[in-house]
Amino acid sequence: MSVAVAESVIPVPRPALGRVGTATLLLLPIALVNAVGFLLPVLNLLRMSFNEALSGGGIRETFTLANWVGLAGDSFYLELILNSVVVSLTITALTLVLSYPIALYLHRSSGRWRTFLTVLVISPLLTSAVVRTYGWIALLADQGPITSAIAALGFAPPRLMFNTTGVVIGLVEILMPYMILSLLAGFGRLDPRVEEAAMTLGARPVKTFWRVVLPLTLPGIALGCLLCFVLAVSSFITPKLLGGGRVFLLATEIYDQAIVTLNWPLASTLSILVLVIFGAALAVYARILRAID
Amino acid sequence: MMHQKILSGTLTALTDRDAHLRLDGLTKRYGDTDAVAALNLNVPKGELVALLGPSGCGKTTTLRMIAGLITPSGGRIVVGGSDITRMPVYKRDMGLVFQSYALFPHMTVAKNVAFGLEMRGVPKPEIERRVTEALAMVRLESLAGRKPRELSGGQQQRVALARALVIRPSILLLDEPLSNLDAKLRDEMRNEIRDIQQKLGITAVFVTHDQVEALSMCDKVVVMKGGKLEQVGTPVDVYERPETPFVASFVGRTNRLEGAARGDGTVSVGGATLRVPGRPNGPVEIMMRPHRVRLADVDASPAGEGTNRLDGRLTRVTFVGDLLQYHVDVNGAELIVEAASDHGRFFRAVGTPVTLSWRIEDTMVFRRAA
Ligand SMILES: Nc1ncnc2c1ncn2[C@@H]1O[C@H](COP(=O)(O)OP(=O)(O)OP(=O)(O)O)[C@@H](O)[C@H]1O
Ligand SMILES: [Mg+2]
Repeated sequence: MSVAVAESVIPVPRPALGRVGTATLLLLPIALVNAVGFLLPVLNLLRMSFNEALSGGGIRETFTLANWVGLAGDSFYLELILNSVVVSLTITALTLVLSYPIALYLHRSSGRWRTFLTVLVISPLLTSAVVRTYGWIALLADQGPITSAIAALGFAPPRLMFNTTGVVIGLVEILMPYMILSLLAGFGRLDPRVEEAAMTLGARPVKTFWRVVLPLTLPGIALGCLLCFVLAVSSFITPKLLGGGRVFLLATEIYDQAIVTLNWPLASTLSILVLVIFGAALAVYARILRAID
Repeated sequence: MMHQKILSGTLTALTDRDAHLRLDGLTKRYGDTDAVAALNLNVPKGELVALLGPSGCGKTTTLRMIAGLITPSGGRIVVGGSDITRMPVYKRDMGLVFQSYALFPHMTVAKNVAFGLEMRGVPKPEIERRVTEALAMVRLESLAGRKPRELSGGQQQRVALARALVIRPSILLLDEPLSNLDAKLRDEMRNEIRDIQQKLGITAVFVTHDQVEALSMCDKVVVMKGGKLEQVGTPVDVYERPETPFVASFVGRTNRLEGAARGDGTVSVGGATLRVPGRPNGPVEIMMRPHRVRLADVDASPAGEGTNRLDGRLTRVTFVGDLLQYHVDVNGAELIVEAASDHGRFFRAVGTPVTLSWRIEDTMVFRRAA
């Protein structure tokens, strides 16, 4: 009763829309863009994966499980999937190991030096991956500067191109800026005072790193790894150029099936598979985040 | 002559050995300002020393240099006779309670407290026992399983305190460790810190800008101002015999008057003449503690032997619980008199003419630049 009176005496200003209404309104544009630009094509892909491929690039509208069953029974494709995942995980791990010290240093630097370093880290993103890949081809080629240098030192020159090694080297370099930026974004909890506290309590630098710095940077690590893994699985230009047609990965295969063989139903099936892999990666990421907290 | 030299040599050696922690001309320069300027300080073993000073006077900087977290621009830090100025932080065996707590956000309260013991390789069962003990001391037994972000500011502060104390460091550095606690808890923690520090004979430096804290629990008070030492002494020294007006006004409340000393133990203030200890000459400032001043009805009889007297008019009375503060206008200067509150009854109504009186030895006098 008294509440009702109070309410009539002091009118509480209310937004025209409720909290939920406002949120909906704000999210509507991006939701629409996503529906048209992402959801519809994916549904289309899903539908396509149940069509039948005719020779010569023809497609017969039908509803068959042939593509899916064919995939499951073909050891080439199973190996392709496994290979893609393993190579992408390797790339992600190497990118992490190479990026982490840089990100940590960047996190601790300040002022103009920090701005300069940040620009330096981002600058590779300003050139296209194609250009950078050609750069790597020049560097890694059989008579290129790197192999020559190794040969000059008296070692057997390794093959650094047209194999998985080349693909890994190229992609690691291309993905490093993404990893560094993700790490930096996730380093928010790393307070220098907390590291100092560990040291005053008797922790040597290595102990401080394992017990304090690393656990506090796990959110950044998880984010960076998720992003790099997804980018590694879906990249096809670099594997195509640096793999020289000898490295078989999901993304390159999809490209071949869709553009070269014109087998759209199979390409769609593989694409949906990639999405499933991404979904699994996201699930792992969510679990890790929950475990960290 | 020879004999004297040897004797004074022995004396220095003795004081050196007594000083468990010694700062020799410790300096920290940022750009072209000195955050800490040539600080000299001896802290004997087992003593609790307060670093007292206004915000930004270099207390935290000093403490962080002692802990090894900031490299001094000059000077030395000596502990137990050996120079540790360049020793890495983790070897120093000092407990530091950070002004911002700096708890490990990813560890529970118990893990936070256990960290230092784990680093020292203390066996598991003992760690458990000592952590429980430390948490009981700061009244946080029931919160052992929580993460720092699930604690209030004061609770976090107590975890920080437990974490530093549990390792029983040879030197304990406390940076305003009680600033976020309520009055009652603060009193309790003060006693706990003092007890532990004395029981274990820990040498401790306690940073605070609360003069009550400094006076009530410390063996020695170091008053700092602008990165420099202003005065070092026992709590009674700095309170009763401040060497500078800054110390007088920072440690305890003061009334301040300006006057001209005549060199014969008297000072003319406005139209009145006050007597002061000593025989200063020239422009001076005079200070007295509000609670050492008595308030009385105007009385034409001459001032009693050994007292100073000034007439004024009561302008305001403030009730602060156990005290009443009377604001008295004396020829345009506002003086404050504090008296025990008698059930909140005022001495006289505002506007009444009154006489202030205080003893000559309660008059502090400092030379003043003309
Ligand atoms: N990294 C720094 N760079 C430049 N100046 C600094 C730096 N750290 C501290 N100072 C300056 O040094 C002076 C002393 O700082 P400090 O933190 O020691 O003060 P404090 O006595 O602990 O003050 P508070 O009571 O507010 O904590 C301040 O004037 C501060 O601005
Ligand atoms: Mg401070």
